[in-house]
Amino acid sequence: MTATLTTCPYCGTGCNFYLLSDDDGRLTGVEPAGQHPTTRGQLCVKGWNAHAFVDHPDRLAVPQIRRDGELQSADWQQALDLVHDQLQAIAEKHGPDSLMFLSSAKVSNEENYLLQKLARAGYGTNNIDHCARLCHSSTVTGLVETLGSGAMTNSLSCFDETELVFVIGSNTTEQHPLIGSRILQAKQRGAKLLVADSRKIRLAKHADLHLRQQNGSDVALLSGMMRQILRDGLEDRDFIAQRCENFAAFAEKLESYTPEYVAGITGLEPEQVIAAARLYAEADRAMIVYAMGITQHSHGVDNVRAISNLALLTGNLGKPGSGVNPLRGQNNVQGACDMGALPDVYSGYQNVADPEARKKFSTAWGCELPETKGLMSTHAIEAAATGEVRGMLILGENPMLSDANQGMVKKALERLDFLAVIDIFPTETAAFADVVLPASCYAEKDGSFTSTERRVQLGRKAAEPPGLARTDWQIICELLQRCGLKSDYQNPAEIMAEIAALTPSYGGISHDRLQGHGLQWPCPDKTHPGTPILHIDRCTRGKARFSPVDYRAPHELPDRDFPFLLNTGRSYFHWHTGSMTRRSHLLDREERFAFVEINPDDASQLAIFARQQVRISSLRGSITCRALVSEKVPAGQVFIPFHFTEGAANALTNNALDPESGIPEFKVCAVRIEPC
Amino acid sequence: MLKSLKREDLLRLLETLAEQYDLQVPLKLPDGTRQLGRYGSGELSLCGPLLQRKPTSLLFPQAELLLSINPDGSVEQPHPAEKPLALFGLERSDLAAIAFLDRFFLCEPADDIYQGKRENSLLIGLTGFAGENSAYLPPAGENCDLELIATADGWLGCAYSAAGKTLLAPFPDSEAKERTEIDQRAAEPKTDSLLKAASRLLREDKVPDAFWQEIADRCILCTGCNLVCPTCSCFCVQDRIRDGKTERSRVWDSCQLDAFMREASGHNPLGTEALRTRRRIHHKLVADVERWGEIGCIACGRCDRTCPTGIGMFAVVEEMINQFG
Ligand code: SF4
Ligand code: SF4
Ligand code: SF4
Repeated sequence: MTATLTTCPYCGTGCNFYLLSDDDGRLTGVEPAGQHPTTRGQLCVKGWNAHAFVDHPDRLAVPQIRRDGELQSADWQQALDLVHDQLQAIAEKHGPDSLMFLSSAKVSNEENYLLQKLARAGYGTNNIDHCARLCHSSTVTGLVETLGSGAMTNSLSCFDETELVFVIGSNTTEQHPLIGSRILQAKQRGAKLLVADSRKIRLAKHADLHLRQQNGSDVALLSGMMRQILRDGLEDRDFIAQRCENFAAFAEKLESYTPEYVAGITGLEPEQVIAAARLYAEADRAMIVYAMGITQHSHGVDNVRAISNLALLTGNLGKPGSGVNPLRGQNNVQGACDMGALPDVYSGYQNVADPEARKKFSTAWGCELPETKGLMSTHAIEAAATGEVRGMLILGENPMLSDANQGMVKKALERLDFLAVIDIFPTETAAFADVVLPASCYAEKDGSFTSTERRVQLGRKAAEPPGLARTDWQIICELLQRCGLKSDYQNPAEIMAEIAALTPSYGGISHDRLQGHGLQWPCPDKTHPGTPILHIDRCTRGKARFSPVDYRAPHELPDRDFPFLLNTGRSYFHWHTGSMTRRSHLLDREERFAFVEINPDDASQLAIFARQQVRISSLRGSITCRALVSEKVPAGQVFIPFHFTEGAANALTNNALDPESGIPEFKVCAVRIEPC
Repeated sequence: MLKSLKREDLLRLLETLAEQYDLQVPLKLPDGTRQLGRYGSGELSLCGPLLQRKPTSLLFPQAELLLSINPDGSVEQPHPAEKPLALFGLERSDLAAIAFLDRFFLCEPADDIYQGKRENSLLIGLTGFAGENSAYLPPAGENCDLELIATADGWLGCAYSAAGKTLLAPFPDSEAKERTEIDQRAAEPKTDSLLKAASRLLREDKVPDAFWQEIADRCILCTGCNLVCPTCSCFCVQDRIRDGKTERSRVWDSCQLDAFMREASGHNPLGTEALRTRRRIHHKLVADVERWGEIGCIACGRCDRTCPTGIGMFAVVEEMINQFG
């Protein structure tokens, strides 16, 4: 039995475990790392099953090219030449900005870095983005404005020191289970727990106060709490005076958010708003934890601003056990952002519109670089549907299931002149591709991944890839070479050396230094120990900024024809579009069927019984799935996870976008339900 | 007869074992923990804390190919191992766990896959002052072929089987004649009395449903408590078809999962988290007592260490005794 230490491929918590393999090189199991600071010998069910999909027979093992309408086996040379020739031809004919590159929060930092380099330096476009657009783009936009950095301010160890955890829009025990368990442990040792979530999630059962505000009413709730804090005199005046700016304009905006007004919008009692304000503000050290319930709205950035304002108002920043803690979803979504797989920044959030930054990268890469910022992925899909984007390269993403409004995504993918997909399984998106390139999965390659607490750590190779599959970085290098760019990296460590040289926050990071428990960025030089807590004496942007916001209603609310509010998200046992977890025996067995959570009152009114197949329709589409009758959702709301292709939640969701972050409103749209 | 071994002797013994057996010894892993791995494939770590990965996983791995069915219907068994297994460096609880699994898998009809690995295998205990920072580990006794007991200045060798005796034959006799002369084991470890007290409470039906609900609310369904438990033996069967060939494997299962007992209709006799949590404890402390005459927990402590929310066996047992004892 061989044991290879590596980083979990699922959520952003960043647990480490050993992949165990037998003499034939087959993976036989997982053992948590006993001494790792996040893992501590513990994993969630997905971590314990992370070996299970790796040698699934469905793995892509040979390159494929579409001939006569069908994907057929090809050799690497042919397939790579075709990808390059097609992308280049489209760029020449219609301009580089008619191309779009989608990178992946599942692949390593090194691979994300190379793909944004390929898009920018190789094909001359800033049209590169990845699924952070769908999860925490609102955080990056909002927190960069208020604090100067879009990452989690504190560390996971802070849960051991905090007095109160305020969880809003995060089903932590299911989506970041090993963070959820820390919250439960904090509660056991006496910390207070405030939960704001319309669903009765597990944490709600343990909460000192559980607020079930209407989906999409968070700005009103948070503004009401902040107004109350000011009225009670519970704000941190020294912190506001010394560390913040724009307080007066912000405070003025709060005036109208009386408990009664807020109650009207949120569906809560006025007293609950007051109680929540006092509970939060009376703690000396309080952590706010949030996720998709905050970000995935057409006013996601405003939600994030309101959260940041609340932490600033009470001085909960720059100290242990406090902070603004967005939980990043994918194992490397933090890293994919850090590496510049975004349309407006290079690695380390250096702006493409800044001539200095552009000069630095163009000197290092030896070519001219485009000036205008590129398309966000959500806009690119719209542009593909109208024919403005014509060629796309998708690395390890599955927009057919993950993006809002599946009908439009399908139209977009069908309309493309050329689509190349690099993936490990034949996904719903790969079915539209002209070329499909087989990739190594996490267990079959080396590379670094950055967890939600900004911890950069190594993933290590424990198995051989199937058939002819290659690592993503090797595939991208082949395309870099065809573009005439440097492509002779011997290994990911060499790529990291280039990243460190160009990226101040990763300046001191090298694979050698990442042995052990990794490093938390910013880590600007070779002797820097890393940074567990951000914004200690000053914020990344200097003074923290209060950012006044007003409540805006969601784009589409229930009405007579579509009387239910549809909330979407994930379940505990599956991961995103299910390509890995639905091929992992125990996880698949636990949750086999697409389902919709519906409140017992609603179910009885509609004469729907448990496990019955029902039809759910919105303005955009219609699906069928099983009814799961449960108190977890409030009456008037239904919840569908987006994992299942046969009952795809995103056939229903609304692609109304936040005007600043471009995130779709996954958490609110209107649907109708009928028994089938 | 006890034998006396110096460190060089012990290393010589390992060399001999490695020639005849697929020798698995405690290795130091990069994060500082220890687990069994093939001799020579990593840094030997003879003494130290409990092995992270349960050693029983070498006899009953997390995922294991059982057989393949070819498109023509013929069946292939996985190729047998070249050498029998020797597990070196087991402490008392590890050996008690293997004895527990032996009884389960080898009772009629015997599980041939397990039997294939266990037959001709060799178990070597490592006890005495061999724990973390030379902590004392009580001798294991006859659950192994031979035992090496760390003393202040060397090792005492004690053979319990013919194979063990042959292996120890080349080494000189020790001055101590009886193992009991150096056995400092307390009459009964505290853990045993806690388990017995909890078992009694359950058998006397003194623990109400509300208790299980409260514990279950804290369970995040990681399945870790089952997977790390060296006496948990539940598995499920997985079939995969690869190029027309069906590969049948077994994988560790967990009674904390809803689908563990769910029927095809959707009905589930263990359909709530509270029932499943109760079962996890009840099985070890009551069902095993009824079936085998002894408690099914060998008090290794692994489930308490791996439970992310602090409701492993001993945490639950202590809460149960505090509340109802
Ligand atoms: S909590 Fe996240 S990182 Fe940890 S094992 Fe589970 S999925 Fe993996
Ligand atoms: S302590 Fe836990 S893991 Fe160890 S035998 Fe008992 S129940 Fe199993
Ligand atoms: S280890 Fe703890 S949290 Fe995990 S399944 Fe067992 S009892 Fe539940």
